[in-house]
Amino acid sequence: MSNKTAKNLFIYGSLFFFVIFVALTVDTMGKLDKRAPEITDDVNAGKMAWHKYDCIGCHTIFGNGSYFAPDMTKVAEKKPKEYLKKWLMDPKAVNPKASMPKLGISSEEADKLLAFLEWTSKVDTNGWPPKPILATAAGVGGQELSEGQKLYRSLGCSACHMMNGIGGTTAPELTNVGRKRDKAWFIGHFKNPSAYVPNSAMPSYEKLKEQELNDLTDYMLSLKQEVKK
Amino acid sequence: MTIKHESQKIAQNFYTFAVLLFIVQVLVGIIAAVQFIWPDFFFLNFNTIRTLHINALVVWLLVGFMGATYYVISEESETELWSLPLAKFQFWATVITITTVVLGYIIMGLYPQANILVFGTRLLNEGREYIEAPRWADIMIVVSILLFLLNCFMTVLKTKKWTGIQGVLLGGLVFLALMYLPGMMYVKSMVKDQFWWWWVVHLWVEGAWEIIAGSLLAFMLMKTIGAKREVVEKWMYVEVCLVLFTGILGTGHHYYWIGTPEYWLWVGGIFSSLEPIPLLLMVWNAFRTTRETRNVENKVGLYYTVANAIFNFVGAGLWGVIHTLPQVNKWTHGTQITTAHAHLAFYGAYVLLIIAMIYVTLPSIRGVKEFNSSRAYQSFWWMTISMVFNVLTLTGAGMVQTYMERLMGLDYVAVKATYNLWFWILRAIFGVGFLIGVGIFVIDYFKLGKETAQAKA
Repeated sequence: MSNKTAKNLFIYGSLFFFVIFVALTVDTMGKLDKRAPEITDDVNAGKMAWHKYDCIGCHTIFGNGSYFAPDMTKVAEKKPKEYLKKWLMDPKAVNPKASMPKLGISSEEADKLLAFLEWTSKVDTNGWPPKPILATAAGVGGQELSEGQKLYRSLGCSACHMMNGIGGTTAPELTNVGRKRDKAWFIGHFKNPSAYVPNSAMPSYEKLKEQELNDLTDYMLSLKQEVKK
Repeated sequence: MTIKHESQKIAQNFYTFAVLLFIVQVLVGIIAAVQFIWPDFFFLNFNTIRTLHINALVVWLLVGFMGATYYVISEESETELWSLPLAKFQFWATVITITTVVLGYIIMGLYPQANILVFGTRLLNEGREYIEAPRWADIMIVVSILLFLLNCFMTVLKTKKWTGIQGVLLGGLVFLALMYLPGMMYVKSMVKDQFWWWWVVHLWVEGAWEIIAGSLLAFMLMKTIGAKREVVEKWMYVEVCLVLFTGILGTGHHYYWIGTPEYWLWVGGIFSSLEPIPLLLMVWNAFRTTRETRNVENKVGLYYTVANAIFNFVGAGLWGVIHTLPQVNKWTHGTQITTAHAHLAFYGAYVLLIIAMIYVTLPSIRGVKEFNSSRAYQSFWWMTISMVFNVLTLTGAGMVQTYMERLMGLDYVAVKATYNLWFWILRAIFGVGFLIGVGIFVIDYFKLGKETAQAKA
């Protein structure tokens, strides 16, 4: 192969691949809006706030960003809004161990950011992030779940609370909570968390039926480490 | 070794600015590493430190490319630059713009509310990774690059000696300038935002920059061992051919999980898996050409040139391909595995490239025949060993994170704060090792050719 042939192959071959790339880009642009909810003014204002505070300087979104703090793609799906809003406005008031600084995000900006994060949580990301296979499998095989355990899962309590090493770190650990509190405390606390724990960012679960509150409380009371061993 | 054309000396201005930004980049990198263990360690938050770390990197490499290009274009065209005053103006305009942008980042870090909207764009920080520079600075940077390209093209037109090396080099630079533009618009959709953002980031580092690397590799092989132009230019064409054939559609490996259609899993998976091939070819080229040519004219230059080819392949190629298949990437995407890849890729492909170009051209610019090369080797081993261990540390952290967070479902913060703590500590230690290497290099850069009396001793 002469140098001239190599040169022509480089120029025209690259152009060929670039044209294919542009064609795929055009096709993709036509399909993106169907894979995501409509972008309202609030969602856009939230995106502007996302850029203003350089959130990507610590977090990732769609897995791209700085790897210093959790990914935000599906956060609105996992954690209650009331909690996220309090966190955004003053992280250390919610969790004194928080690494995130208080950036001066206003109440209005926090609402817009949540609208934006709710939008990203509904984008079709081809199944990313994947569901953790071991956590999903744990405890399901050959074991009947109690009503309280089912509620604990369906309400997504483990997004914030940790039990036996699995779950979130932003709310108190529950592995041994059955030894520390009684039934009246649990029921009252579920209905109105901040009346029991000052500054609590946990949302109220008043909407649950009496029976459900009892089931969940029974489950909490069963959480005593030495019994589990 | 002396330069043939006086205006080639302008390269030194760019190198000096690049070298200073390099040491700033590594210093803030160490602060960032400590913040992984102790977030409140510094008066600026992590996001500001990290913005400085990655922007300093991108800018010093770009400035290094500019200096190297002015040198190469003049040499290849066998004439003085078209306009030396324009090159000087362009240099100082770049320095002033970059300094202002850095001050803006620091102000924004101290007072986040200062990042106000002006004409619909952010004043101090655009809040988009790698291209944080605000829009007004984008425009200044584009003007600077256009002036730079104008100067280069006019120089080539003076003698019309279109060599393959300068054709590919300038082609890569024009591609680089064009691919900056998709990052300069606001879109309401975060999905589209990231889609265009990858046009800039991917088509730079896995497209335009690799083309520049291919042409500079050919140039350096000619200068250090007197390789034949015919031979190195043919290699170069084949390399850059394959870079773009695989790299353009390889962009698809960033379009797996950001809300884009599923066919990108196939496109990205197939083409990005082929991306290491041209990089392997560069290693083969470097070794083969070196073996065939026995008269080494610049040993240190050759040392860094070959190291550049090897670590480009290992960092960008191997550390990239391990997590490029969608089946794997689904679990590793957004973890420390990416951080590991990014560190070794930038070090191998571009940091070593600019340092190699400095060692190949600086002796001529300073007008020295021989120089004491012991510091150059010392800094190489300090930097390389530290970076390799740094990357192994991050890879370990990424594997722990992938397993515990993604597979077992443990919380992000729990994994980061508890299970990966020792990886962060080791990473900071290796960071200091790297800083020592950079320090030795910087001292060598300023002293090279200025202590001829000792050189013979």
